[in-house]
Amino acid sequence: MSTVRFEGIARHFGPVRALLPTDLDIPQGEFLTLLGPSGSGKTTLLNICAGYLEPSAGRLIVDGRDVTAAPPRLRNMGMVFQNYALFPHMTVAENVAYGLKVRNVPRAELSRRVDEALRLVRLEGYGGRAIRQLSGGQQQRVALARAMVIEPAILLMDEPLGALDRQLRKEVQLEIRRLHLARPRTSIYVTHDQEEALVMSDRIAVMRGGRIVQIGSGADLYERPVDTFVARFLGESNLIEGRVEAIADGRARLAVPGLSAPIEGRAAAGLAVGAVASALIRPEAIRAAAGGIEAGVIERVYLGEIVALRLRLDGGHEVWSRRFAGEVPAGDRIAIGWDAGAVSILPPAEAV
Amino acid sequence: MSGAGGTSKGAAAALMAPALLVVAIVFLAPLVRLFAMSFEAKAGPMATYLEVLGDPIYRHVFVNTFVVSATVTVVAIAIAYPTAFALTRIGPAWRTLLFACVLFPLWISVLVRTFSWMLLLERNGPINRALVGSGLIDQPLSLLFNRTGVLIGMVQVLLPYAVLPIYAAVLRIDPALIRASEGLGASRLRTFLSVLLPLSMRGVATAATFVFLLALGFFITPALLGGPASMTLSMLIDSLVNERLDWPLAAAASMVLMVAALIVVGLAGRFVSVRAIAEAHR
Amino acid sequence: MSGRVWLYGFVALTAAYLVLPIMAVVPAAFSAQSFIKLPPDAWSLRWWTAFAADASWRRTLVTSLQVAGLTTVVAALAGTAAALGIDRCGPRLKLLFGALFLGPVVTPVIVIAVALYAMARAAGLVGTLTALVLAHTMLALPYVVLNVGVSLGGLDRRLLLAAAGLGAGPWRIFRTVTLPLIAPGVIGGAVFAFVTSFDEVVLSIFLSGPTVKTLPVRIWEEIRVEYTPLVAVAATIMLTLALLAALVSRLMTKRAAT
Repeated sequence: MSTVRFEGIARHFGPVRALLPTDLDIPQGEFLTLLGPSGSGKTTLLNICAGYLEPSAGRLIVDGRDVTAAPPRLRNMGMVFQNYALFPHMTVAENVAYGLKVRNVPRAELSRRVDEALRLVRLEGYGGRAIRQLSGGQQQRVALARAMVIEPAILLMDEPLGALDRQLRKEVQLEIRRLHLARPRTSIYVTHDQEEALVMSDRIAVMRGGRIVQIGSGADLYERPVDTFVARFLGESNLIEGRVEAIADGRARLAVPGLSAPIEGRAAAGLAVGAVASALIRPEAIRAAAGGIEAGVIERVYLGEIVALRLRLDGGHEVWSRRFAGEVPAGDRIAIGWDAGAVSILPPAEAV
Repeated sequence: MSGAGGTSKGAAAALMAPALLVVAIVFLAPLVRLFAMSFEAKAGPMATYLEVLGDPIYRHVFVNTFVVSATVTVVAIAIAYPTAFALTRIGPAWRTLLFACVLFPLWISVLVRTFSWMLLLERNGPINRALVGSGLIDQPLSLLFNRTGVLIGMVQVLLPYAVLPIYAAVLRIDPALIRASEGLGASRLRTFLSVLLPLSMRGVATAATFVFLLALGFFITPALLGGPASMTLSMLIDSLVNERLDWPLAAAASMVLMVAALIVVGLAGRFVSVRAIAEAHR
Repeated sequence: MSGRVWLYGFVALTAAYLVLPIMAVVPAAFSAQSFIKLPPDAWSLRWWTAFAADASWRRTLVTSLQVAGLTTVVAALAGTAAALGIDRCGPRLKLLFGALFLGPVVTPVIVIAVALYAMARAAGLVGTLTALVLAHTMLALPYVVLNVGVSLGGLDRRLLLAAAGLGAGPWRIFRTVTLPLIAPGVIGGAVFAFVTSFDEVVLSIFLSGPTVKTLPVRIWEEIRVEYTPLVAVAATIMLTLALLAALVSRLMTKRAAT
């Protein structure tokens, strides 16, 4: 278990700046997720941490030691690759044992630790199998066992669930979370799937255009996104654009063309009076309210216990509302409202 | 991802060094030396080339080499195309068998294959005896030590090199296109001419280049199956070295052959990569 | 439908034309007569015993096997190393070195033979094992480089990163991951190198001497004068060995495929 510190780490490929100078501190035992669309720099950051990629600038400090120039094999990091990268010519046990053999672990201890690792990922008895005999989910767990058995200082995971089907993904997410809680170990997890990030992480760093846009717990990001990009990336969101009328005491008022009343909400950093901004209202915050804003129901989508409504406000704006099936009013027109406490006024995302 | 490689440039050079050394010493250096030798005739630096290109006897050898190579190429393609086409159409078991028949000869030494033809094509060999015995002909045909023998043998030896590239090309054609053409009312011939042939032209070009290139420099088969009247360039080079001991002239003739081969490769380079040629070799 | 029959008939004829004539040397080798007649009027093994009893023929076979064996080792080692080296180069150098190693494939063999002969004469190497092995290695290298190159192309690079991440150094990664995974290419290339050398005639004709002479060169010398069932025996031996190599190669590719 270790602390990791990125100091001004940057990387460019020719003229392409894949990662802008980035500072990041990861305390011991934290499960941090790098969340972002493809090309946001998250995999670059991970590969720099593993030593597969040299940074163009900056330093990487692990446990107070500068490892920027250390080759991957001396870093003691466990990496789980997208599509697993299991050695196809070795059995399950040989795959898991590889890192231990490299470390000259005595035979008895080696087989004990391999068995333990396989038990941990619930694959006891699979040691003698060939890799191609395993399902995708099982392969994924072998990859996890192989990375964890060497007791890595840091566990790195590069979209490890990308190749699994939806149902299996959910199971393995919880499995990884369970393993982490049982033995907390400093982990960096890369994904573009917000649900994965929310389920597993202590903290999430949202990346875009080669930099970290916001970092915080899932609740932080969901409830207090710094801009419209983060708001869109995590969870469902209604964003209504307008101009900032006033800012005071951490709250802002947004004038929206077509709406009779301004929208009020928590002011994010970086707002300026008169500038363009958006009001974020999560769909679950929008409910029927007598005397509220008049809206037409355009579409009803049945999602089981939840029903989603697409509504057109009289000003022409469209928003989604998600309510429990029992709370959804009938009819083509309803009056809606929301808590001012559930609204954020956000600056637009920076152009990339 | 260079982090794992370390000093990868130095490592790459060190890894290639032994093979490069072999190629440099056993291939490049001798060729350069031969090139220099071609200018070392006593009669002056260009005398060898003037003689090789000017003498009617040598010109006859050039023409014969070209005619033999071209004929072999045309005949080989004509046989290879339907064979390659059939390979893509027959069932998997038959395909495996036919494929084995195409690849098998490549493993056998050209010398053994040519020797077998000598036994078969003899004046009193099994082919002539069968033909005479069946009453098709009165007198045994003269099949050996002339151009007929050379053609029969060379086409057989080079045929696999023609089948493989055409097969690869035909394989890439979507069978739905043929069904579409026939569904639109085209006859089989029309389908072949307007769909199949144009789409497999690259394969045919590769095959032709390949066969022609190999035929130009072929030595064993024409030397054993041909006669003095059907001398090819490679036989000429051999006799200049081993019988006339005229090294500068042999060197010049070699350079002419090499330039001819390079021209073929260069012309074909527009359709065919050298790599594809070598890969079909395997 | 009749078009189909024609096609099949034609293909059967082609297959026969490709394969059957090659077999002609086999019955010739089992003749009881002192000359070759196909098929022989009487069968015997007398020419096989004659071959076995003839020290000079035996020596050529041993020389051929020696040259082919040494060529296989040298070409497999140097060719595999070269393929690994090319693999580490940038795309431009890859093309350049690829073309360089393919040079011997597109150059007419007679030209290489004459050039090598001139060089070997000057160096006093005509009629030595060294000259034959070097020459055959040069011919066999492209196939090893190509075969191993194809294997390397199919190698998942993340496996190497994974091994490095688990703490393995470059040599261990090569030994435990790269080599086992490219082994089919290396073995395939080695088998082809063996056959290339064992089957080779033209370079050998020029580089052989009275004492160091390969089997094909002896066959070549004999049949230019007169051919006896003894030569057919030698040719049948060559055929059989090449066939064995083809089978080995086929088994290897089959195993690699499963």
